[in-house]
Amino acid sequence: MSDPVEDYLSSLAAALHGPKRTKARMVAEARGDLTDAVSERTRAGLSYEHAAEQAVRGFGTAAELIGSWQRELTIAQARHTARAVARTVPFVIVCWTLLQRADDSFWHLPRAAQHLAVVSAVAAVLAAVTLAATGTLARWFPTPDRLPLTIAWAGTAASMSMAIATLALALSAALGTDWVLLTFACVLAAASHALVAGSARSCRRCARLITDL
Amino acid sequence: MRGHLDGLLLAVLEQGPLHGYAIITAVQQRSGGALELRTGTIYPALNRLERVGLLHSTTQSSGERHRRCYDLTDAGRRTLANERTAWQEFTAAIGSVLNPVPPPETAT
Repeated sequence: MSDPVEDYLSSLAAALHGPKRTKARMVAEARGDLTDAVSERTRAGLSYEHAAEQAVRGFGTAAELIGSWQRELTIAQARHTARAVARTVPFVIVCWTLLQRADDSFWHLPRAAQHLAVVSAVAAVLAAVTLAATGTLARWFPTPDRLPLTIAWAGTAASMSMAIATLALALSAALGTDWVLLTFACVLAAASHALVAGSARSCRRCARLITDL
Repeated sequence: MRGHLDGLLLAVLEQGPLHGYAIITAVQQRSGGALELRTGTIYPALNRLERVGLLHSTTQSSGERHRRCYDLTDAGRRTLANERTAWQEFTAAIGSVLNPVPPPETAT
C-alpha cells in the first residue's frame, strides 16, 4: 500500500520547477515536518494511515500551495540564471576582445564583436539588478513580476552571443596564427554558453509557470 | 493572515532557532489555536525571509535526520520591531474608530 505522505510529496514535487537544490531542500524539509506531524498523531492513538491523511490535509492541498512554492522557486531560478550570467559574461567579453584583435577582416568580426559584447554587457547589468532586487532590496521593494522573464531572456541573449563567439573563435583558431589562445577562448565560450543556456531555458519555463497561475 | 505571515514567523523565532514544524506549532500555541496555518505555506515564506537576509538557517543532524533550523538575523530583529510598532499603530487606529472615547461633558 502506498504511503499518503510520499504520494503527496511526489505529486507536489512533480508540479514544481526550479533549481534542483532549492526544490529538493524545500521538499525534504516538508517531508521531515510531515513525518513529525504523523508521529505526533500516531502517539495520540491514530493509525498511521489516518495520521498521514490528517497531516497531509493540514499541510494544504497541492492546488493551495503551488502558487507560493512556484513563485519562490521561480525567483530562485532567476537568481541562479543571474549568477550564471554574471560569472560568465566577463569571460565572454574577453573572448570577443580576442576576436577583435584577430586578423579576420573577411569575417567582419570586429564590428559584430562589439555589438555582441554590448549584448553580453547589458545582460550582465540586468543580472546584477536581478540579484539586488531579489536579495536585500526585496525587504523594502516588491520584486517586479516580470523580472524573472526579463533575466530569462537576457540570459538567452547572452547565451546566443556566447554560441556565436564559440563559432567565431573556432573559425579564427582554424584560420589564424594564434590558435592556442583562440582555442582556449573557444572552449571557455562554449562552456559559458552551456551553463547560461540551460539556466536561461529553465528560467523561461519557471517564469511562464507563474504567469499562468 | 496574508500580509502578517512574515511578522508571525519572525516573532516565534525571537526566542531562538526553531525548525519548520516547531515554528508552526509555536504559532498555533501562541494564538491558542485560533490561527491555523496551512503547514505548507511556511516553507516558501521561510525561504524568502532567508533570501532577503532576515533569517539564516543551519542544518542540524539528529541521528539520520537532518533538520533545517532558522534563526533571526540582526536585520530580522529590526524588522520584527518595526512590524510590532506598525501593528500597534494599526490596532490603535482601528480601536479608536470602533470604540470611540466619549467626549468629556462640558460643565454648564
